[in-house]
Amino acid sequence: MNTRHLVIAVAVALLMGALSLAFGRFGAYMVNAVAIAGIGALSLNLLIGYGGQISFAQGALLGVGAYTAGNISNAGGDGLLAILGAGVMGAIISALIGIPALRLRGLYFAIATLAAQAILEYLFKILDPITNGVSGLVIRPTTILGIPMTSDRSLVVPSLVILVIVWVAVSRLMRIDLGRSFLVLRESEIVAKGMGIDVAHAKILAFFASGFIAGLAGALAGFANRLASPEAFTLDLSADYIAMIIIGGLGTWTGPLIGAAFVVLLPEAIQRVGEAAGLSDILSPLRELAFGLLIILFLIFEPRGLTALLSRLKPRSLAVPAPGAVPATGESLPP
Amino acid sequence: MSLVAREVTIRFGGVIAVERMALEVSPGEIVGLIGPNGAGKTTFINCVSGTYRPHTGTVRWLGDELLGLSPSTLLRKGVARTFQNVASLHDLTVLDIAKLGASARKDRQSGGHLLDFFRSDSALERELLEQILEPLELADVAHKPIQTLSYGRRKAVDLARALAAYPQLLLLDEPVAGLTSHEGMAMAGVVRNVRDRLGCAVIMVEHKMDVVMSTCDRIVVMAAGSKIFEGLPAEVQADPEVRRVYLGEP
Ligand SMILES: Nc1ncnc2c1ncn2[C@@H]1O[C@H](COP(=O)(O)OP(=O)(O)OP(=O)(O)O)[C@@H](O)[C@H]1O
Ligand SMILES: [Mg+2]
Repeated sequence: MNTRHLVIAVAVALLMGALSLAFGRFGAYMVNAVAIAGIGALSLNLLIGYGGQISFAQGALLGVGAYTAGNISNAGGDGLLAILGAGVMGAIISALIGIPALRLRGLYFAIATLAAQAILEYLFKILDPITNGVSGLVIRPTTILGIPMTSDRSLVVPSLVILVIVWVAVSRLMRIDLGRSFLVLRESEIVAKGMGIDVAHAKILAFFASGFIAGLAGALAGFANRLASPEAFTLDLSADYIAMIIIGGLGTWTGPLIGAAFVVLLPEAIQRVGEAAGLSDILSPLRELAFGLLIILFLIFEPRGLTALLSRLKPRSLAVPAPGAVPATGESLPP
Repeated sequence: MSLVAREVTIRFGGVIAVERMALEVSPGEIVGLIGPNGAGKTTFINCVSGTYRPHTGTVRWLGDELLGLSPSTLLRKGVARTFQNVASLHDLTVLDIAKLGASARKDRQSGGHLLDFFRSDSALERELLEQILEPLELADVAHKPIQTLSYGRRKAVDLARALAAYPQLLLLDEPVAGLTSHEGMAMAGVVRNVRDRLGCAVIMVEHKMDVVMSTCDRIVVMAAGSKIFEGLPAEVQADPEVRRVYLGEP
């Protein structure tokens, strides 16, 4: 167990918990949104940032989680069971999406995931008995371990607990054989194969693990919105998650959370500024433009994202580095 | 003979890269595989290690057919290889790579990955440091990402990965190419020690003749995809045909 990562994850969760208490209902809403996006971004970073498998279907996978959790909870199942069920369902569907990756590579596979996203969106619309079609599935307030989840404030607790568990689990995963084989896979499939890594096995497990985490995020999103609808889990959502992990820093441990916070909070900030300046009509389309620009800039100048930027700022802001301090090298996998 | 390769042939389009190649190695023996550029040495290693599937031929190891098995299956059977050109893998440390090599020794089911989450690997870490990284002079950089190492060091890491699998058949593709002569001699020494300790069969492709002469028990010369000569190091050096084809003498 990497104690440093555990300490950081718990500290961040406590800080987020404190923020949610300090800023009332809106604070709880935003913290919950960041936590859920953070879990979703961790799932996509596992797949793309560590495993090197580009996917545009993560939005729909969250949808799978939301619908699964909604149905289990509405049928009277405990919220925890619903969340775990969503994880399992997410993992299974994700592994199915990953099957073409055994044949297709890079761009070709990415296009196959676009198709998977479209198919899942279509299924959300037509599988009436479980999805309630275009109008969406209303999810009644759930109870987790007997505690009713009536507001964002109560949901913040399970969201933050799951965030910590997932965050630490990803850290651990990257220190066992499976995680190490993901990293080789990302660099080169040919090298991985030559090194005796079972490439097909590793790929499917990357999709499975990523899908499980996406399912958890989807379940929490469903509970927070009290609704699972086709419009909520479109390609736009997939694109948001890709933006998060690129802006935060692909293949880094802190990146997904930093990126999630950035992508969730930026539109709020833009809107606030717009309202204050009386320019909201002009500024709100800025969000898309800003994301697009940021992604391009990061890809060109800092592929390791905000994480690398922040860690480069560190030594300068601390005028005198602590004795024996290691120079910051981007939050990748520390040895 | 525990490795017996016969009639191994593979073509790429019109190019016959390896043609009716034959080679035998016994446990504890180091066989040098030499020949001019493009002779098919790497391709032959690729066939034995499961990277390529030859069109015809057999490669038997202790009586089992190896052709058709995947590199991962072969690695678990004790067939490990190194690469002529080593990749620089982001983020992974020297120890990470050694552990990946050692993972071939764990014969586990899919669920085993879940157990790994809760298992400490500090015992394995110590073993790898002492048994593998120390002799290769890699212990001091064990926690460094391999991309920060020199080319020679990265070749040593690649060898460490293969050795960590405790192979029975070790296939080395130009292990000392690009290394300083000091590094090269150290690497050759490690190969001999490992052979002595594990009693494994070794095929070593190499251009550096001093290393080949001092390390190998027997030498096979390849040209244009086929074996053209086989013998003791001294015999190979004395053979006029080999000198003409390989050493470039008239
Ligand atoms: N994947 C491939 N596709 C097409 N041709 C190939 C492939 N692999 C090898 N060849 C060809 O097979 C022949 C043998 O190449 P190989 O790499 O085995 O030579 P080598 O003996 O290892 O040479 P060197 O000493 O330069 O490493 C060459 O003509 C090469 O171009
Ligand atoms: Mg070669």
